[in-house]
Order: sequence, then C-alpha cells, then structure tokens
Amino acid sequence: MNHYSFDEIEIGISAAFETEITEDKMKMFTQITEDFNPMHVDESYARSHGYISRVVYGMLSSSFYSTLVGMYLPGEKCLLNKCEIDYKNPVYIGDRLYVYGEVSDKRTATKRIKVKGKMINQNGVTVNTAKISVSFTG
Amino acid sequence: MSKEEILSKVNEIFIDAFDKEDLVIDFNTTASDIEGWDSLMQMNLIEMIEDEFNMRFDMDEVVGMADVGAMIDIIISRI
Repeated sequence: MNHYSFDEIEIGISAAFETEITEDKMKMFTQITEDFNPMHVDESYARSHGYISRVVYGMLSSSFYSTLVGMYLPGEKCLLNKCEIDYKNPVYIGDRLYVYGEVSDKRTATKRIKVKGKMINQNGVTVNTAKISVSFTG
Repeated sequence: MSKEEILSKVNEIFIDAFDKEDLVIDFNTTASDIEGWDSLMQMNLIEMIEDEFNMRFDMDEVVGMADVGAMIDIIISRI
C-alpha cells in the first residue's frame, strides 16, 4: 500500500497493477450483488446476443478502481469522492486486466486530486476508462 | 466582467452542479439555502468555478466563504 499525502502527490504520478477476472470472482460478485441477469450467468444467452461468452459485470471490473486509489494512488490516505466510468468493451472470464491510473489534476483549495484511469485487457484492448476524484484523510 | 455577469455564470455552474434547471442564486445565497449543498458539493462547486474562470482559490478563502457574494468578490479579485 502507498501512503501519499496531499503535499507529496503530484500531477503525472502514475500507478498500475494487474488482476485476473476468475470464475470465482464472478461467482462472489453474483452472490454479493444478486444480479442474476442472464448476460452474466447464462452462457448460451450471452452467445445468442453476440458475445463470446458470459459478460463480466461492468461494476466488477470497475471495482478495481477502488483498489487503484485505495492501495496505490494515493493509497492509505484516500477518500474516494467520485468515479465516472465509460465501459468501452466487454470483459470475459479469464481476462487479465492491466489497471492504470495517473494523477491528472491537483486542487489546493479542495485538497483533492483527479485520477485518470483505464483498464486494458491481455489483447491490448481498452475495456473501460475512468475519471476519479479523490480527497485526502491526511 | 461585471459582478452581475459573474453571478450569472456562477448561477449556470450551480444549475449544472445541482442538476436543477430552475435554481436561482443571488449574492446572499448560502449553503443552507440549497438542499444538497454539503461539503462534497462545495468541493465540486469550487473546482467547477476554478475551471470556469481559470483561477484558483486558497483553502482559507474557501473555509471563510460566507455566501455567494463572498465567493464572487474573490473571483473578481482573481480575474
């Protein structure tokens, strides 16, 4: 975990990590959310709608922006205020996501930063992007 | 830019931030006059105003802002 303070953080600082969307993660997310939409839980339904296989929940893949800000950028002293996400391409079970974020703005008056995020899969396809506002607890 | 012109621009920002087409503010408007004007919304407003007028507030100024009029006085001093 990183521990950037507001004074230490600067525009341009970035962080990244990788994660795999496993069947287990899908199952846990289904149980947590109780979202049983067939697109996520029914293989033939997803295929019949033109997808390669069951589509991973957008909110599951984008939940890793919580990890990005809470563990890396800024890390411990983080308070997530706003997260605006654009879902660009489907994510499938077994995909490896490269989660990247970069500080794009820093405001002294509000003691807040903006982080531009994006997730890229193993084929180099951007699956989503995010504009994140983060304030600091310390 | 006159004080009234700035008030008009700031009013547009408030409409956008609160997503309320019929919202009308004046120089005496305070946080207690508008539902949802909490600390998080205050930060959003400050940043949107900074973007609109291409200026920056100091943190002490933000803490000391009593009403919209005080906000506009600071904007005038910066542009």
